[in-house]
Amino acid sequence: MKNYKIAWRNLWRNKRRTLITGASVFFAIFFALIMRSLQLGTYDHMFRNAIESYTGYLQIQHEDFWDNKVVDNVFAYSPELDRVVKGMKNCTGTVPRFESFALASSGTLTKGVMVMGIDPEKEALLSDTRSKLVKYHLDNTAIEALRNSELPENIKKNLDLFKGNSYSNGSSLAVDFNIEDKDTSAILPVFREYSFFNNGYIKLGEPGALIGDKLAAYLKAGIGDTIVLLGQGYHGTTAAGKYRINGIVKIPTPDLDNKIVYLPYDICQELFYAPGMLTSLAISIKDNDENTINEMLVEIGQKLEAPLKVLGWREMNKLIINQMDADSKSGMIMIFILYLVIAFGIFGTVLMMTAERRREFGVLVAIGMQKRKLATVVTMEMILMGLLGIFSGIIAALPVIFYGYKHPIRFYGEMAKMYEDYGMEAIMPFLLPDMYVIWQSVVVAIIVIIALIYPLRKIRSMEVVNSLKA
Amino acid sequence: MILKTAWKNVWRNRVRSLVVIASVTVGIFAGVFAVAFMNGMIAQRFDAAIDEEISHIQITGKDYLLNNDPEIYMTPEDGIIPAIKSIPGVEYVVTRTIVTGMASTASKSAGVQIIGINPDREKEIFKLYKTIIPGTGDYFETESKYDLALIGQDLAKELNIIRFAIDSTVLSKLRNKEVPDEITTKLEAFSGKRFSNGKKFISTVTSVLTSHELRQYGQLIREEAWSYRENSRMILTFLDRENNQVSSVFRIAGIYDIKNAIFEQSQVFLRNEVLSRLTGIDESSFHKVIIRINDLGESENITNEIRKKFPGLDVKNWKELQPDLAMMTDYVHQIYGFFMVIILAALAFGIINTMLMAVLERTKELGMLTAIGMNKKKVFSMIMLESVFLSITGGITGMIAGWGTILLTAKKGINFAQYAEGMEAIGYSAHIFPEISASFFIMVVILIFLTGIASSVYPALKALKLDPAEAIRTE
Repeated sequence: MKNYKIAWRNLWRNKRRTLITGASVFFAIFFALIMRSLQLGTYDHMFRNAIESYTGYLQIQHEDFWDNKVVDNVFAYSPELDRVVKGMKNCTGTVPRFESFALASSGTLTKGVMVMGIDPEKEALLSDTRSKLVKYHLDNTAIEALRNSELPENIKKNLDLFKGNSYSNGSSLAVDFNIEDKDTSAILPVFREYSFFNNGYIKLGEPGALIGDKLAAYLKAGIGDTIVLLGQGYHGTTAAGKYRINGIVKIPTPDLDNKIVYLPYDICQELFYAPGMLTSLAISIKDNDENTINEMLVEIGQKLEAPLKVLGWREMNKLIINQMDADSKSGMIMIFILYLVIAFGIFGTVLMMTAERRREFGVLVAIGMQKRKLATVVTMEMILMGLLGIFSGIIAALPVIFYGYKHPIRFYGEMAKMYEDYGMEAIMPFLLPDMYVIWQSVVVAIIVIIALIYPLRKIRSMEVVNSLKA
Repeated sequence: MILKTAWKNVWRNRVRSLVVIASVTVGIFAGVFAVAFMNGMIAQRFDAAIDEEISHIQITGKDYLLNNDPEIYMTPEDGIIPAIKSIPGVEYVVTRTIVTGMASTASKSAGVQIIGINPDREKEIFKLYKTIIPGTGDYFETESKYDLALIGQDLAKELNIIRFAIDSTVLSKLRNKEVPDEITTKLEAFSGKRFSNGKKFISTVTSVLTSHELRQYGQLIREEAWSYRENSRMILTFLDRENNQVSSVFRIAGIYDIKNAIFEQSQVFLRNEVLSRLTGIDESSFHKVIIRINDLGESENITNEIRKKFPGLDVKNWKELQPDLAMMTDYVHQIYGFFMVIILAALAFGIINTMLMAVLERTKELGMLTAIGMNKKKVFSMIMLESVFLSITGGITGMIAGWGTILLTAKKGINFAQYAEGMEAIGYSAHIFPEISASFFIMVVILIFLTGIASSVYPALKALKLDPAEAIRTE
């Protein structure tokens, strides 16, 4: 009979024990996979948010700008540079930016803000400012009107909670108000009717500003009002200018929403007395595979001349990476503890099995089975048991992971507000199966192999006569 | 009697029992320590928030918090302070004046909140004065001909007030601290160079040292190369009461470090009389009242009492000021419980397996016991007790080991310097002192006990199902 057949049958001789041990592995794998998928998925989402709405995957900057963000560290935006970058095969376009700090005042109110000079049209390739324009705004009149409208009661009761909020699209509104997908087509038009926000945009060459929704609330400024910007210009000049607010944008990151002012970049250059200069040139790409990006990083780096430098997303998002790393480590420790406990359970089973079958092993060797063959059979038994747990765990976890990927965990109502206050989006998506699935299996396999040392040594040092007496 | 029998039964198969006990020990030890670690981190964040950042209750004028409008202020005529002080449970009260402005040095500028305080009175509520980095000055103690400003470490970095430099003194200090010559030689290449900020310094050092050398000496090199320009100055720009722009030069009184980047970047403290002189805001008026109370549990009651007395003001307690912190402290025990339950569930598989084994190999013995008249209840409780003994023994050793480790590490703490930047950005210190309350241990004991019982149910039922006549006959 083939070794694996014997092993398989041996496993089912003590069905209960196999199932319980298999179940412990199943439990560990299932739990570890769900937890890891959720954790990694949340990071992935946060990353995409940070990268796609702000830094982009690659940026060209003056070499000192990243560490020292002052207006003096700018570079000339030449058509030649633009052409070189655009000539690369993975590049879909360049997005010029002029970023600086200023004090913004409206009436008696003042706040430190981030001034971001953009190309209003090209920005569509990266952060897509136009899609962030506020579409629904729940001011007092809108709330009153909605309260008296035909909205269902369970939605009306959330109105007070989200008073003063703005939304740039229907789906984020649907999340806060816990509107189910099938109801959106009926409910959103009601919101649109009473809380529609009439927004404008900015254009190159025309002075005008877009400001964050939270900043607008802070400055008590609305469309048509004027804000005064005051800051430090190029080479120590004083930068001062006043601009009409053309539109209000809602940025998903609250911290940014609180301090962002968009200007057309040429107007921004004028404000800071740096005509023709940029602080960064973000590069939009087609394929965001890590290897491709790294290749581009090297390639652009070779083409750039001295004061210019190309930065990758890892370098620009060090802080998030650092935070995620710390959080990821804590998750891994939890899983490590879990596996440690499971390892003891497996070792206990192996121990019992060896003790219980001492006589059986003795008989087998006595009637002529080679010790090596016996050892192979026992090894196969253990591996099969491990695989049983691993595969059942993976199979049980996959549907949950796929479901969680399609329908991320969302927090509604008060919980959502809490998350937003904390500076996070109230959403936790799962990450589709990836290397992390393999790692869990490898860990369990290692545990099984370590546990195997005990019975194998027992078999090798077994004295047949003594075993038979057992 | 059953107790004794069960205990003896546990030790009949010593190795097998020890494996289970060891697994419970390790699981509980790891769980307890991990929870103490998390708890220490959260407790530190909590203490920092209360003792350094927000205290227990804050009062501002109506709608002030919307946009920190300096025109929304309170005056002594409102009678707020004496009224609050008369409330039982209120320990200390301070007032602050706040304007928004810009801090700049020759090379950089940043938006800040400029806060006028009474330094001596603030000491009663906030521990900020204890967090001044040695060598950077003090907490408004030394006089100067310039006005003084107390700033945070991150703002100081931002404004290039703190910087890094390597020179012969730094190198000789490093040599005295037994840093190998090969490293100092490598660093010598940068001798005399100043780095305008920490990031540049780190990337330069990283480029010449191996990762092993960095791990061992990086922190030391950083500490030695850190330099602060004595008597540094900065300019604060803000609007006065007539909306005129005011710019004034300040000397840095000291630099505080509270391990919270956002706070450190944005909060600049001045003496109240200085701010009042420059802005024209009356010295006796204020924007914010901060209250420290005796008993944390009373914060909601006292908040409500103040609200009743002054319905025209915004009164917020720490839970409303920092909802994330409140959420954390409210739910944290459930999270710890969940964590332990997961570990115990994994342990339960091992216990069930062992107990099942113990029951099945004793088929004959159990049959005999039943046959000679031991009733089913007793058999059941014997098995259950064995299982509970297994888990409790392991649990107690695990808890003792966990507790010992907590005591050992609590003194010096565990420092995750490599995560400091990320953690401080969200207000957590990376130097963690594990701690846990006694009530957590009580919860763990109960959970372990329940695990023991729960994992014995199946094996004990198996034992009950044995037919005595049949069982005696088995080999």
